[in-house]
Amino acid sequence: MKTGIQSWLDERFGFSNITKFLKEKTVPQHKHSIWYYTGSAILLFFTIQVITGFMLVFYYKPTLEGANESVARIMTEVPLGWIIRSVHSWSASFMIAFVFIHLLSTWLTKSYRNPRELTWMSGVFLLAVSLLFGFTGYLLPWDDLSLSATKVGTDIPRSIPLVGVWATKLLRGGGDVTGDTLTRFFGFHVSILPVFIFILLAVHIYLIQKQGMSLPLAAEGKKEKVREIPFWPNFVYREMIVWLLLLGILFSLAIFFPPSLDKAAELMAPAPEGIRPEWYFLFLFQTLKIFPAKVLFLNGDTLAVFLILIAGILFFFLPLIDNKPAERKGRIITIIALVLIMYAVVMTVWSLL
Amino acid sequence: MKLKHSLFTRRQFLNGLLGGWLGALLASFLYPVIKFVFPPTREPDQVILPFADFRDMGPNSVENFLWGSKPGILKKNDDGSYLAFVGVCTHLDCNVGYLPNQRKFFCACHDGWYDENGLNIGGPPPRPLRCLAVSIEGEDLIIKREGGERVED
Repeated sequence: MKTGIQSWLDERFGFSNITKFLKEKTVPQHKHSIWYYTGSAILLFFTIQVITGFMLVFYYKPTLEGANESVARIMTEVPLGWIIRSVHSWSASFMIAFVFIHLLSTWLTKSYRNPRELTWMSGVFLLAVSLLFGFTGYLLPWDDLSLSATKVGTDIPRSIPLVGVWATKLLRGGGDVTGDTLTRFFGFHVSILPVFIFILLAVHIYLIQKQGMSLPLAAEGKKEKVREIPFWPNFVYREMIVWLLLLGILFSLAIFFPPSLDKAAELMAPAPEGIRPEWYFLFLFQTLKIFPAKVLFLNGDTLAVFLILIAGILFFFLPLIDNKPAERKGRIITIIALVLIMYAVVMTVWSLL
Repeated sequence: MKLKHSLFTRRQFLNGLLGGWLGALLASFLYPVIKFVFPPTREPDQVILPFADFRDMGPNSVENFLWGSKPGILKKNDDGSYLAFVGVCTHLDCNVGYLPNQRKFFCACHDGWYDENGLNIGGPPPRPLRCLAVSIEGEDLIIKREGGERVED
């Protein structure tokens, strides 16, 4: 039954199309259904990031003089500030972790194939924006670790021909990492990247609704119909159970293991020992570390950056490279995914030794 | 409509004109945006420091100074002469430190090593530390770019 206000609004907005769609939407049930929950888990952590981000920005000061001190104030003086920062930091890690899981599930079930190429590509952009959120956020507390990580990270694009030097300057706001870099990173983190992520999310989610949930290869080939459950309320209730579990884990970790804050970074001091980036960049960090100074006639770091760049481009175009008919298994693609996972794990563990 | 010997129609010509004009307009909007986003960063031609601050350095020790927005490292050798470097690793731009006991410069980011003369001897650094020219004139310690060349960032 619609009340007067509801029907008045509906005549103007046409909400009923959307509610009708959501009421009729179904989610397939099969042995790979668990991966469907990763997308909404990412949205959960993203929402937490937005809310805690709004709160942190009330006290944070994005300047050379004020940044470290303001984070210290959030951690010590602001009522419950330490929990808010801790949740923001942990939820960022969780979000990235689930982005990786979401991505690997899409890769291994080959869900990126026709007609979902653009869903994959918008997803790769979302991955890039998520990593940039992490990278820019890492600098904001302005301690020794974050400064060195930013110096390295912003120097990496320099090896790319033509645009590299400009990319480094664009990120740093000049030739070197300075107070301007901090202010600029704050701008990226709280105004530019959010615009991009909302647009990309809208495209990504629209495409998923438009094309329906992807069925894994095993289920797609079968003649008999796959069992389906209604999206509302059955699937949403199941998702809520997952969210509650994840929130429990998140808050427990945030309360018992809050992030540290070192003394304010000094721009001219030597890099401290034991610097490392966030865990999701460790495999890249270790790759850069083990490349020798010269490989044949090339600089080691130039070569490493090139390889990473080529891998990124191939990764983006994966749906066009593996465009076999849906029923083909694509064993090589699966093996490549497994090799990459092994590489990332080995490099990450190595960098922690 | 197209004239007999013309390569394109009137419509194409007008569209090209309009498109070119729009492109030029867009470029004129983009130019100030790009100028704004990339601030100029000029490396200093020279840095003049009071020599009195550095006279009492022991042999095989270093002091820091500001070389524009980068850290500079002034090192006193065993024979009393001075060397100056831009104290930035040639691998990925981290600040290096000097370890007097080992007589080496060290970059902690990716384990890069340089000998006491700034030569890259271990780890990923592809080039020696950038050397600067040191001269003492009266009470001033003057540090200039080696050979006078400007290195672009």
